[in-house]
Amino acid sequence: MKKIFFKGAFYSLLIVIVLELVIRGFHLTKDYPVRIIDENKVEKWQPNQNGFSVTGNRRQNFSEFRINNLGFNSHREFTPSKEKKEIALVGDSYIEGFHQDYQYSIGKKIENELTDFEVYEYAYAGYDFADELNLIHQYKKDFNLIDYVFIDLKFNTDLKRGEYAVIPDRMNLETPFYRNIRKFKLLVYLNSIGITGDLKTRFRELIALKIKPDRIVSNKSKPEDNDKINPKYLANFNQLIETYNFDKSRFVLLLEKRNTPNAFKNYLKANNFKYIDLTEVLEQSKAPTTLVYDRHWNDNGRALVASAIVNYTKHLELEN
Amino acid sequence: MIFNSLEFFLFLFVVFMLYWLTLKKSIKGQNILLLISSYIFYGWWDWRFLFLILLSTIVDYYIGITIYKNEKQKVRKSWLWVSVLFNLGLLGFFKYYNFFVDSWIDMFSLLGYNIKSTWTLNIILPVGISFYTFQTMSYSFDIYYKKLKPTNNFLAFAAFVSFFPQLVAGPIERASNLLHQIIGKRTFSYNQCVGGLKLILWGLFKKMVIADSLGPIVDDIFTNYASYSASTLILGAIFFSFQIYGDFSGYSDIAIGTAKLFGIELKSNFKFPYFSRNIAEFWVRWHTSLSDWFRYYVYIPLGGSRETKLISIRNIAIVFLISGLWHGANWTYLFWGAFHAIAFVPIFLLGKNSKYKNSIIGENTILPSINEVLRMVMVFSIVTFSWVFFRSATIADAFSYIFRVFTEFTFHSYIHPKGFRMIDYYILIALFVVYEYLIRRDERAPFNFKSKYVRFVAYAIVVLCLLLFYDSSIDRSFIYFQF
Repeated sequence: MKKIFFKGAFYSLLIVIVLELVIRGFHLTKDYPVRIIDENKVEKWQPNQNGFSVTGNRRQNFSEFRINNLGFNSHREFTPSKEKKEIALVGDSYIEGFHQDYQYSIGKKIENELTDFEVYEYAYAGYDFADELNLIHQYKKDFNLIDYVFIDLKFNTDLKRGEYAVIPDRMNLETPFYRNIRKFKLLVYLNSIGITGDLKTRFRELIALKIKPDRIVSNKSKPEDNDKINPKYLANFNQLIETYNFDKSRFVLLLEKRNTPNAFKNYLKANNFKYIDLTEVLEQSKAPTTLVYDRHWNDNGRALVASAIVNYTKHLELEN
Repeated sequence: MIFNSLEFFLFLFVVFMLYWLTLKKSIKGQNILLLISSYIFYGWWDWRFLFLILLSTIVDYYIGITIYKNEKQKVRKSWLWVSVLFNLGLLGFFKYYNFFVDSWIDMFSLLGYNIKSTWTLNIILPVGISFYTFQTMSYSFDIYYKKLKPTNNFLAFAAFVSFFPQLVAGPIERASNLLHQIIGKRTFSYNQCVGGLKLILWGLFKKMVIADSLGPIVDDIFTNYASYSASTLILGAIFFSFQIYGDFSGYSDIAIGTAKLFGIELKSNFKFPYFSRNIAEFWVRWHTSLSDWFRYYVYIPLGGSRETKLISIRNIAIVFLISGLWHGANWTYLFWGAFHAIAFVPIFLLGKNSKYKNSIIGENTILPSINEVLRMVMVFSIVTFSWVFFRSATIADAFSYIFRVFTEFTFHSYIHPKGFRMIDYYILIALFVVYEYLIRRDERAPFNFKSKYVRFVAYAIVVLCLLLFYDSSIDRSFIYFQF
């Protein structure tokens, strides 16, 4: 009896070591860049890091990221000046685009079309509207030099708060405990493919004497919800706009139907906010516009978004 | 509680420790533990099912003793019929009642009478009812045929009926194999235990890597078959062949492996069926515990092949039709059974049904001969064709599916419903076939390599595959639970 436990433990250990080596050797899991909160209380990545972002059990999506000297994923450094023409893209993971090589980012695609512009991607996974406006405010010296600022806004998820504060939960991932755990690539891999999450959930359910596992509830929003406007979110929007002196002449919102009600678009129109509705270009595409594993834009989706921004910029240039 | 769940492994660990550490010296204690754990295992689905299994146990226990005590053949036969009618009654009510009512109504509507169905009931099918009712019936049959003495040990008999590793999806055990092991003393054997763990690992691979990863593809193709071309429909049928094999044989391996952990040997259920050289050999290798059951308790009592050719053909047809119906209350299963009967009869008439009974492909060579490969491909094609009936939702769907295979003969590369790379699955299946060929000599020893280094590499690859093909969003239940 002892022998079976001893040998079982020994073999398990060997297999864990082999799996760790295989995952490292074949780069089956993602690298975690280090997060920081800078002197302006802005959460971003620690400057000058490189790594790879991996999605799926079998490396179905593999891309390189490059954090520049300001702390954002981009192929370039951000050096705004009065002499040059610049566009800033401010947003979350959709704009940040870890799931695509940084050389093919939305910014790069725009620069390929608008050759006299430099595009700066101030994006960070998890940013909401408060994060975005606070960032613009904190870096106002730079932003005042930038010609056009495109801000990604998802009404249903980005307006849950009306004032900015650092979110401590995300920064907990930078404690020594989590940093050390992330050194075990096998654990990172198990976590990324959902095994640890599934086991934790089921274990909790069993402790709570739930015999049957909870069914996965679809989080697809119903079409009829699309036109309803949450008054709290609208109040938060207005509060943030007021706090940070939203510049209606240079700032353009990027919206999508799947997370923004039509009523909000009407509200923006009535109040002279500039915005691009990406819905039409994305929906008209015959090829898929999102990734296999999640709803982030794939290369095609990002190209369409870039082209929509290019067209709008040309329109703004003509206006000016 | 399903084998590929966290709760099962926690449950198994606790039962294993109690069984060998605390109750090592007491057979009675071990049997009580087996019975309680089996009832917990079964009641995990729905505690109400426990009454059925308990009732079935009590009835067959007493009928077994009564048949044995009676000398008069007529009385013995009557009691056997009580057992058969009781078990088939349970099965008929829970599994076939609605099917027969609906079929009856459909038949009348074909004749122009529209009958509104007020007879169909909202019945939940108890998990594994087809398996344990057949197992308890075999006990009464064996006593009737004087091949077995009934046990007076009710506890052991109840543990035999409900033995959790094989309770819900077999292998269907005959009392002559399993009951005496439960009555007798079990001793802990390191080799047996390690053999069990290896089978569990291999079974998990077959289920979680082969079956579960092909499941979404098969579901997509069979659900949307009307919009796919022949190449995709053929792919769907081939993938279903591997899915159902991985699912069911994987379950059987885990069941046999789990039983080994408790010092009990169950019968093999799958012996590499896709390496068969004719349909008869396929049926010696596919779901052998059910085939044996039908041979012993239906085919031979009907006269087997001892009578005229015509009667033998009738017997073959009956066995395959019942076997089809056993799988489920749907015409698709009946057609599947009929198709296999039609495929089997020519082999029988040519007298080749036992030709490959005791041999394997590549018996004395590393690679199979061209003749063997061609035969194997032919059998696989026939079996795969038959799976279309088995998998389709209705018989009309099955025929439409087959019709499209022959009429929409164009090639389109298939895109995974979730967008995953299809090449991963083609490579997986190819490597699986090669590995199964390598281990083809012993279905109970999937890691039987002389070098411990090769063995270790095989374990590591299997575990790695479990991770590479893990999908937390899919339904992990076993296909055969519905039967």
